[in-house]
This record gives sequence, structure tokens and C-alpha cells, in this order.
Amino acid sequence: MNRFKRADSFASHSSAMASSVARGAVKAVKPIFSRDVDEAKRRVRELYRAWYREVPNTVAMYQLDITVRQGRDKVREIFNKNKHVTDPRVIDMLVIKGKMELQETIHIWKQKTHVMRYFHETENPCPNDFLSKFYHGHEP
Amino acid sequence: MLRLPAVGRALAGAAHSKGCLTASSNVRTSVRASSNLVEVFVDGKPVMVEPGTTVLQACEKVGVQIPRFCYHERLSVAGNCRMCLLEIERAPKVMCSHNYSTLDCSSCRPWKGIFGHPVAACAMPVMKGWNILTNSEKTRKAREGVMEFLLANHPLDCPICDQGGECDLQDQSMMFGSDRSRFTEGKRAVEDKNIGPLIKTIMTRCIQCTRCVRFASEIAGVEDLGTTGRGNSMQIGTYVEKMFMSELSGNVIDVCPVGALTSKPYAFTSRPWETRKTESIDVLDAVGSNIVVSTRGGEVMRILPRLNEDVNEEWISDKTRFAYDGLKRQRLTQPMVKDASGQLVPTNWEDALMRIAAMLQGVKGSEIAAIAGGMVDAESLIALKDMLNKLDSEALCTEELFPMAGAGTDLRSNYLLNTRIAGIEECDLLLLIGTNPRYEAPLFNARVRKSWLHNELQVALVGHDVDLSYSYNHLGDSTQVLKDLATGKHPYCQVLAQAKRPVVVVGSSCLQRADGAAILSAVSTIAQNARVSSGVEEGWKVLNVLHRVASQVAALDVGYKPGVEAIRKNPPKMLFLLGADAGCITRADLPKDSFIIYQGHHGDVGALMADVILPGAAYTEKNGTYVNTEGRAQQTRVAVTPPGMAREDWKIIRAVSETPHVGVTLPYDTLEEVRDRLAEVAPNLVRYDDVEEANYFKQANELSQAVNQSLLADPLVPPQLSVKDFYMTDPISRASQTMAKCVKAVTEGAEAVEEPAIC
Amino acid sequence: MLSCVGCPVLSRVLSSGASRVPAVAASRVPAASTSLNAGSSVALVRYNTTAQQEKPKKTKFGPLADQDRIFTNLYGRHDWRLKGALSRGDWYKTKEILEKGVDWILNEIKVSGLRGRGGAGFPTGMKWGFMNKPSDGRPKYLVVNADEGEPGTCKDREIMRHDPHKLVEGCLVAGRAMGARAAYIYIRGEFYNESSNLQVAINEAYGAGLIGKNACGSGYDFDVFVMRGAGAYICGEETALIESIEGKQGKPRLKPPFPADVGVFGCPTTVANVETVSVAPTICRRGGTWFASFGRERNSGTKLFNISGHVNNPCTVEEEMSIPIKELIERHAGGVRGGWDNLLCVIPGGSSTPLIPRHVCDDVMMDFDALIQAQTGLGTAALIVMDKSTDVIRAIARLIEFYKHESCGQCTPCREGVDWMNKMMWRFVKGDARAAEIDMIWELSKQIEGHTICALGDGAAWPVQGLIRHFRPIMESRIADFQQKQQARA
Repeated sequence: MNRFKRADSFASHSSAMASSVARGAVKAVKPIFSRDVDEAKRRVRELYRAWYREVPNTVAMYQLDITVRQGRDKVREIFNKNKHVTDPRVIDMLVIKGKMELQETIHIWKQKTHVMRYFHETENPCPNDFLSKFYHGHEP
Repeated sequence: MLRLPAVGRALAGAAHSKGCLTASSNVRTSVRASSNLVEVFVDGKPVMVEPGTTVLQACEKVGVQIPRFCYHERLSVAGNCRMCLLEIERAPKVMCSHNYSTLDCSSCRPWKGIFGHPVAACAMPVMKGWNILTNSEKTRKAREGVMEFLLANHPLDCPICDQGGECDLQDQSMMFGSDRSRFTEGKRAVEDKNIGPLIKTIMTRCIQCTRCVRFASEIAGVEDLGTTGRGNSMQIGTYVEKMFMSELSGNVIDVCPVGALTSKPYAFTSRPWETRKTESIDVLDAVGSNIVVSTRGGEVMRILPRLNEDVNEEWISDKTRFAYDGLKRQRLTQPMVKDASGQLVPTNWEDALMRIAAMLQGVKGSEIAAIAGGMVDAESLIALKDMLNKLDSEALCTEELFPMAGAGTDLRSNYLLNTRIAGIEECDLLLLIGTNPRYEAPLFNARVRKSWLHNELQVALVGHDVDLSYSYNHLGDSTQVLKDLATGKHPYCQVLAQAKRPVVVVGSSCLQRADGAAILSAVSTIAQNARVSSGVEEGWKVLNVLHRVASQVAALDVGYKPGVEAIRKNPPKMLFLLGADAGCITRADLPKDSFIIYQGHHGDVGALMADVILPGAAYTEKNGTYVNTEGRAQQTRVAVTPPGMAREDWKIIRAVSETPHVGVTLPYDTLEEVRDRLAEVAPNLVRYDDVEEANYFKQANELSQAVNQSLLADPLVPPQLSVKDFYMTDPISRASQTMAKCVKAVTEGAEAVEEPAIC
Repeated sequence: MLSCVGCPVLSRVLSSGASRVPAVAASRVPAASTSLNAGSSVALVRYNTTAQQEKPKKTKFGPLADQDRIFTNLYGRHDWRLKGALSRGDWYKTKEILEKGVDWILNEIKVSGLRGRGGAGFPTGMKWGFMNKPSDGRPKYLVVNADEGEPGTCKDREIMRHDPHKLVEGCLVAGRAMGARAAYIYIRGEFYNESSNLQVAINEAYGAGLIGKNACGSGYDFDVFVMRGAGAYICGEETALIESIEGKQGKPRLKPPFPADVGVFGCPTTVANVETVSVAPTICRRGGTWFASFGRERNSGTKLFNISGHVNNPCTVEEEMSIPIKELIERHAGGVRGGWDNLLCVIPGGSSTPLIPRHVCDDVMMDFDALIQAQTGLGTAALIVMDKSTDVIRAIARLIEFYKHESCGQCTPCREGVDWMNKMMWRFVKGDARAAEIDMIWELSKQIEGHTICALGDGAAWPVQGLIRHFRPIMESRIADFQQKQQARA
């Protein structure tokens, strides 16, 4: 119950924010949510915290064969993957995607395999030179 | 006799006999009909048509499809199913053919359409001012009535009928039939007939449209099928229990509008809506028939013809249609390498390529040779040639021989069917030399028969006396006849000299004799003489070569040497067999330590002697370019993926070229790049569906005069003499059970072939 | 037509005078001479046509006077060979007829108003005239349809048996009229004696130089061939007959092209009935106007009538057209068995025409137009008389079975429809049907009629239609009886 409320407040908050930003913006590029990098960073931190708190729940709900520690390490790893991004608009977009993932995880819209995909990539990279394609088999 | 006497035909003029009706619409004649068109109306819409057009054709012209069962545009008009009945509204003043304009011309019974009865659209020529009502109350009533009668004795076994889903009766009864049945009597049952291992008959389903009978007697040229009995006990059959013996017999399956004649090998295997259709090309002979490959789940279910007026019209030969089960048998699915004990063991691609690379290290370029077989696509031909050339070898041959003396293969006109297949319909005299087109190129033969039947084509044959499904002037089988024809001493030369549009066709097999060059020279002279005496225009081609294998023209275009003589004389240390299964070279011809690589799709003759086997793709499994005997480039398309570890052929060669130690990586990675390379070598190979003309007959003839080879005394005998030689000629058809059954049936009788009880 | 009425009077007077001479041989000369004169007298009579017009319309038809009979050896009482035929006036001045030319012969036939005697009744003069298109090099042929297979019909048989020279001479005259090179007489296989008589007659005619090269010395070459069929009813249809002559299965061809364009062996052909051909020489000799004087307008001439069935004296007789059916039966066939009141119905024109019940028979005339008006047809003028003892449903069912057996099987409505009708008809005979099925079989017969390649489908449909038209109550009561019986049993 608690989680639902939180999600709702996120939504209302951000939409109000968006409209105020739109009004005050003078730059040529229209920001998504954040006016500057700091604000974007704040959002990232919020998201990170939300994920951080959610990990024990997820491990329990999905009966994952990992420890909470491992889960939190993975969260950190995934956040670190995008640490080179500096454009607030891109950061906002990534945050939105992160929120979607989070929501899907919280609501058990996912299944166990989907969560475990964070830990193991199932698809092999496609071969791209002729000979390895030839050995590999038929062309995709 | 279908062929009308010459006088009657010439003078029949506007009068149509049964055969003439189609002849006028279907056969190319050099004389064009005069252009005084008549105006008729289809449902009130005016349309201008040529006089003599049938009502059905006039309707077709405005895009109105008339339901029909017995009418088939390539067969004569029978007019017996009565499904195409239409009401005609007459113009105020109509003259019947008796020049009688009043209503009581009672001998014109079929003209009762004018008096209120409907007419059969397929047979009735239009008259000026007629209004054809294609959907009037009376028309619909007539159709519904006929439909009811047709369904009266037709079994309601659609769920277990192989025609289900592509049945004319099913479709048209949905469109034009009544929604309920009134028939409460008992239905008729007819005994099924065994007419061979290809065609399954369920004669109870037959609606007696006689399309199959007309196909057999008109197109196939065998009078095997006919009707026996009268009235409701009329049956289609072979009169006596025998096999329907024709190389085109499978086409009656397509022609049959119901499920009376279906394919025996295809029986109960799949439904038309389950299959994926891929438009492709047949490579089992040099005609290059256009086909549709029906596949389901990676398996070829059946092969159907595809319309191409210039090549196969809408027919295909039995080998093309039924040899597909050979694609599932005897296949090479994994690379194989001979181990220390001399056994071929399955391995993976890397090992096989490494083995080749290792062997290549020890040989010089000049010690490598390659032979290309009969079903190889142009892409792999060019890839192999590029690779060997890069390795410094020029020894690339085809299995099929062609005399190189004189112009040889340098002039393209020397080895093509220059007149083209459709061109046969325009010629008036055909001289066949040392060939049996009926089995070497069944659809070419069907075209000759069509022209013989409708266009008064005269045919003469030098060579073994064979049954060609039409009558011809047999000039003898000795080479002396050729000599006499060339020097003008033969009595037939007078006939030849009178021809307006002569064509000379020489079989590729007789050019492979020891005196091939002399034969080609003689034939070239005959053709040149005929051309001069006929005074035909410059564009008309006289000299033609009829090939038997699909790859030959492309191989010669790309620059392969015809024949393996060079290899026999100069045995290589390393031999690359690209689908070479004719057994031209055996182990005995080569040094003991020579290394043989076989690349192909079937474990046939070539694979037996190989040290390394590279599994390739068959024609249904690759995008390949093939050039038919006319010089027409066409492409096959991937219908199913190659089985197991088999790969497309050009890719295998490309992979071999890249392996370390070989180090001559070919500069193309994709099909488009290979075709770009093809276009560099021979641009005509990628101009698909187009025929590149070849035009140096005179020069070729002059060069052939220089040949000083003398003709041998042996008679000219083509390799395929009777129908039993037709079915198994290549690795695919040799692997086919259906084809084996056919051979058994034609040698021992249809009843010798055991069929599962379910059929 | 009326304008020529005067002429026959003249010729009849003359010819009757001649035929009174007791010796038959003697009658040859005058009778023939009048006929040849008659040709020239046409113009003379036509001169005062207006005066003739006031003459009252002929209202009484038949009986035919003996001197007006064309087939004088119908009953085989005289010699049928050449000698006897010559004595009866055959082959008399045939050369002169031939020499009068095509137009003259055609004109005589046209004036005579002769209509085809095979059933369809197409004007013969016009039909033969179609052959006179400019030649394109193909020979023309006359085909004589002697495949007389219609149940009830036996007129051609009598001609070929007892007067074959009439037919042979007719072939020559008709052949001349259409410029034919030869005549093929397609004779029914069962007619063994007839075909051998006919062959003898042809041989005699060849021997006497009457046909063959320079026929009758006229400079015209004409051959006659006899071709025996194998006894299929359908081979009596003109195009099926042509196919059969060509050695193929006797299955009707599509028309167009008509035989006049593409007939036997791909050449222009006219197919004519035996009787039509046989009367041609006599018409030419005695004049078209003489022939036209019999019968009603558009239905002129004399005709062989076959009367069979429930009559006291079944016979074949030559009578004037338009004779009332009642008079025909009573005068020649000795009346209906048990008196006229015992008559149930008559099939007036061979099995394929619809029957007519007694009340129609009372006053209908035997000619093309009158019978069409009575919703039936003259056909081959073969009357099948049925008295009240007949099970009329069974009679028609048997006819349909015949048509089912004789259908060639080529086209759908006839092949499937007639078989269907046959099965239904035999149920109607028992009464094992529903009353609604009477309407259904009517509909089926309408689905067959006019939808087929040849007329056999029509011929099979019409008897059923006639039965339903006139005897529906009988069919209904039969059904009701059957149902009652079934209920009683249950």
C-alpha cells in the first residue's frame, strides 16, 4: 500500500514540475524535468535510494537465489554503467526508464527470469566477420 | 487426328473448328488478325474485341471472371461443363450464321440464347452489338442449376480430399451454388484406376470436364486418356488398365478442377494454406522451368509450375515436379574427412577447411584443377574460378563437353538455343540433329508439338528414330546424312531450301562425340545454307544447341573449359569437384596421391571418391543464378534452409579461400557482392529473365570451316531413348524414390509398384 | 404460298389422269412429264396471282388421294429393286432435273414449302441454300441421317427397305442442289436388312450409271456411301452423327461452327433426314406447287405418319399434313382400342415430344404449328397412342430411362440431370415421393432444357413436363395412396 502511494506522489510531483519548468524555460532546448545537472543528479539519487530499499523485497518476493548484497551491488553496477552521461535530458530519460523498471519489479509484473537477466546476458553477440558467420551457421 | 488437313486449315478462315478456337487466341502466329474490331457490351459496358473472340474472352477483357470447369485457355474448347452459361441480350437485328435474321432459325439451337436460353460463354463467338449479362437473374439461375447437377454425384469428402482449399468446384460452389441440397437419391461411385506412381485417381470425384483428356491428346501428345461409357456411367480412364505414360503427366493434376486427379507422392501430406510458396527455378534440365516450391516447416512439400510464357508456359515435366523427394534423401549434411584408415568421418567445418588448407600448402597452383557439375549456380562457379585463378590455376572444366575446334565456346551463339523456346512457334521448319528433346527438354518438346499442331510446323530428325509425340521426317541416323545435308546433296535439302523460317537444333550429346567438332561444323553449314536460302531477316536465328544440364551455359559464359580432357591429360594433385556427379573422372584417371575435394549436396558418384566432402545446398536452398539453354538468366530462391551443416555453395568456396595458408581471400562477403563480380565477368548473368542475344553466326560458320576433323561412321544416338531413361539423370532424381518407382512402373507395369493401402 | 394454289390443281388433274392407267409402268411417262412442265407453268400461274387470292382457304386436310402418294411402295408389295423403282417413276428424267440447275431445284424446294422431316422442321430450301456460298476449295458433302432411333418412329426404315431408290435419287438431286461431292448415308446399325437393301440399290444405281462419275449422263460426279452406325440414339443428332462418321465417339459438337461451315471431315456439310431427301425428286418432277397444295400454309406437303400403341391397326401411312389427329387414327389405324373415349393421351411426334391428353386430341391437327400451339411438337410425326389402361407415369418413366441410357454424358445438365429425373420418376411410379417433388422435377427439367449442347436434354425434359402439365392429379393421388399404404403398414 505504502509503495503505491509513493509511486503516485512521484507521478504528480513530476508532472507539476514539468509544467513549471516549461513555463520558466528560456533555453532553446526544452528540458524534460530537470533544469540543470544538479537537479538531474538529485533525481538519480532518489531513484538509487528507491532501488536500494527495494532490493530486499525483490529478493524475497521473487525468491531469488542471491543475497541482498549481491542485488545492491548489481544496482550500483547498473547505475555506474551510465555515470558518464552528463546531459540532464538524457539523465532524465534514463531515470524514467529506471522508474519503469522499478515499478515493474515492485508490482511483480516481471518474472524471476526477467530479474535475473540483470545478472546474466542470455544472448551471444552476433559474429560479424565472414568466416565466423560461416562457422556459426546460417545468416540471421 | 487433331491436326486438321492442310487445305481445311488454310481455308477455314473465320470458321472455327474445335481446335481453331484456342489456336487463334493462344498460338503466336506471324500473321496478325485484321483490326476490324466489333463492339459488344458486358453488363452494358462497351468493349471492342476482335471478331471471333468468345463471349468468355470478351468478359475477361473487361475484368469479369466467368465461372468454368471444362474451359482451359491452353486447351481446345469442349463446352461440356455448361458452367459458363450466360444470358445474352441481342441487338435489335441479329443475323445468325445462316444469314437468317428472323427468330425461327430453329436449326441454330445453341443460338437459343438469343431466344431466351443462355449460351455457353467459352464456345460462343461474340456478335456485334450483343449485350452479355454476366449476373442477370437468368444467368445466375443457369449457373446454380449446373452447379446443382455437378454436385449431385460429387462426393462430399472435401475434408479428406487433397484438392481441398484449391478446388475449383469448392470455390465456385461457394460463389455460385445454392445454399442447400435437394438431392436425395443415391450417389454414383466409380472405381479408381491405377494410372501410375505419380497420379492418384479418385474417379468418384470426377466431373467429366475432360480437361485431362484434352491435355493428354493435345499438349502431351499421347492418346492414353479418354472417355468410356455413356451418360451417367461415363468414365475417364485409359481404356485398358495401363499407365498414363507421358513425361508431362503430372500437369493433369493442376489441370483437374476437382480432386479426381491428385499427386500420389503429395497425398495427405499438407494443405495449401499451410505451405509457404517460394517462386524459384527448376535445374533438373536445361530449360529452366519456372516453379513454385511449397514448403512447410523446412521441408519441401511439393513443386508446382509457375507461369512463364517464354519458357514453360504453365507446364512442368514430371521430373521437375516429382523429384523433390530426392532432396530429402542421400543428402550430405556434415563435412567429412577421410581418416587414416581411409574412412570418411563426419567432422566440423573448421577441421574440414583446415585439412584442405594443409593440403593446399604442398601443391603448386598448376597442380590444382576443378570440375563443375550440372546443377551448379553461377555464383559458386565464379567464386571457384576466382579462387583457383588466384591460386594460379587455370584448369577449370565442366563435365559436359563442347567441341573447341573452330570458334568453340568463344562465340556465344555457338552454344545457345538462339531461336529461344518461344521462337519455335514462329518457325516453319525444324531440323533436329542427334537429340531426343522429348526427354532431354520436355517443355521444349511440348512447344514443338504445339507449333506442329497449330502452326503447321514441319519437323525433320537426323539421329536415332525416337518417339517425339509428333510426326516428323526421319532422315536417317548416320553422319552421312549430315554430310549430304551440308553439301546440298540430300533430297531433303529442297524442302529445307523452301523454308521461310528454318530452325536447326543440335543436341548437346552428339557434340560430345569424338567427332563433335565435325558435327558442329556440318550443322553450322546446314544452318547457314538454310538461312541464306530462306532469305529470312537478320534477326532470325537458325543454329541452336539444346543443352541437357542447367549449369552449362553459365559455366561457359563465365569462362570454364568444356570437358575434362585437359584434366585427364594433365592429372592434378588436387582436384576440386563442384557438384560433379557424372563420373567423367575416376580415381583411376588421377595419380594415387591426388587429393579430391567434393562439394555438393548429394552423396552420389562424386562424393564416393572424395578425400574431403563439403556439404552444399540444393537448388531449393539457395539464391542462385542459372542460365538456361536459351541464355536466359533466372534465379532460384531460398525455400528451405540447407539441412544440417550444409552451406550455400559460394560461401563454402569463399570460406575455403579465407582459411590460413590458402590466403587468397575472395573480395566478396555477400550475395550482392558476388553478383557484382558476376556482372563484371558476364553482365548478362545478372540481367534476370532477360535473354542476351548472340549474333556471330556467319563468323562462327567461317571459323568452323577450318575444322579438319572427319565425321565418324557411328550413328547419332542420343543418350535418352525411351521414357525409362528420362526419370533418373542427376543426383537429385537418382535419390528420389518417386522417380525410382516411375522407372519400375514403366519397365514392369504400373501394378508392379506397391502403394500404401491408404491411397 | 397461297398464290401458287392454282398450280397444284392443274398438275393434279394431269397426274391423276395418268395414274388411272392401270399399268404402273405406263404412268411413268405422263406423270413425270407434267412435273417437268409444272416447273415452267409456275410462271404462268403466278401471272394471275391476284385472281387466285380470293380463293377460299383450304380447310379440309386429308385423306390423301392415292395418285398423290410419293412413297408408292411403302408396304413392300412391289419390287424394291431398280426395275421396280423405274416402273414406279423413279429415276425418270433425273438428268433433266439435274440439268435445270441448282437454282431451279432450290426454287422448287422453296416453293414446295418442305420442312425438315427429322423433327426440327427447318425449311429445307433455305437449309440447302446455305451450302451455295462461293466455294473455298473444300468439297461439300450431303449427309443423310438414317439413324432413326426415336422410340415410335419407323418411317425411314420403310423407305430404305421398300423404296431405297427414292433415297438414292434424292441424294443425287439434293446433292446437286447444294453442289455436294458425295453423300454419306449414316444408317442405324440395327437396320441390317435396310442397309443391305440400300447398298444393293446403290450398286444398281452405280451399275446403271445413275450415280458415280457423270451421274445420269449429266456431267455431274456424285458418289453415295453407306456408313453403318453402332446403334446409339445420340448419333441421330447431326453433329454427333458427323463425329461418328469421322470415326470418333458420337458426341455432339458445339455449334457454332455449324455443319454448313465445318462439317464432316472439316468440310461444309448438310445433314438431312431420309424422308426429306427422298421426297425431293418427286417434288422436282411434280413441281413445288403440287407439294405445297397439301396441308396448311407453312406446314405443307405429305408426310409419313407412324401410328403405334393402343390402336387396332398400328401402321405407317403417308398422309397430308395438317390432317386432324383423330381422323388420322380412326381412318388408318382402325381407331383407338376400345373406342375414342378410351383414349388417355397421345405422344404426337416421337418419344421426345410432350404428350397431349384426349381433350386436346379431339381437334388438334397434325402439323408443326398446331402442335406447337398445343404445347407439344410434330417431331417425326410418330404417334404413340395410349388408352386408359396405361400407367402414364410408368410410360414416361420408361421413356426417361431410355434417355438416361442414351445420354452421351458429355455435358453436365443432361448427364446428371436425366439420371436424377430417372431416379425420381421411378419413385413417382410407386408414389414414393412428396408432393413437393413434382414441382422439383419440373424445375429440374427446366434446368436441363436449353442448357445442353444438343437437343437430347430437351427431348428428355419435355415428356416429364408434358406429364406434369396434364396428369399432375394422377401423380398426386399416387403419392397419397402410397403414403396411406405406408401408414397402414405402420
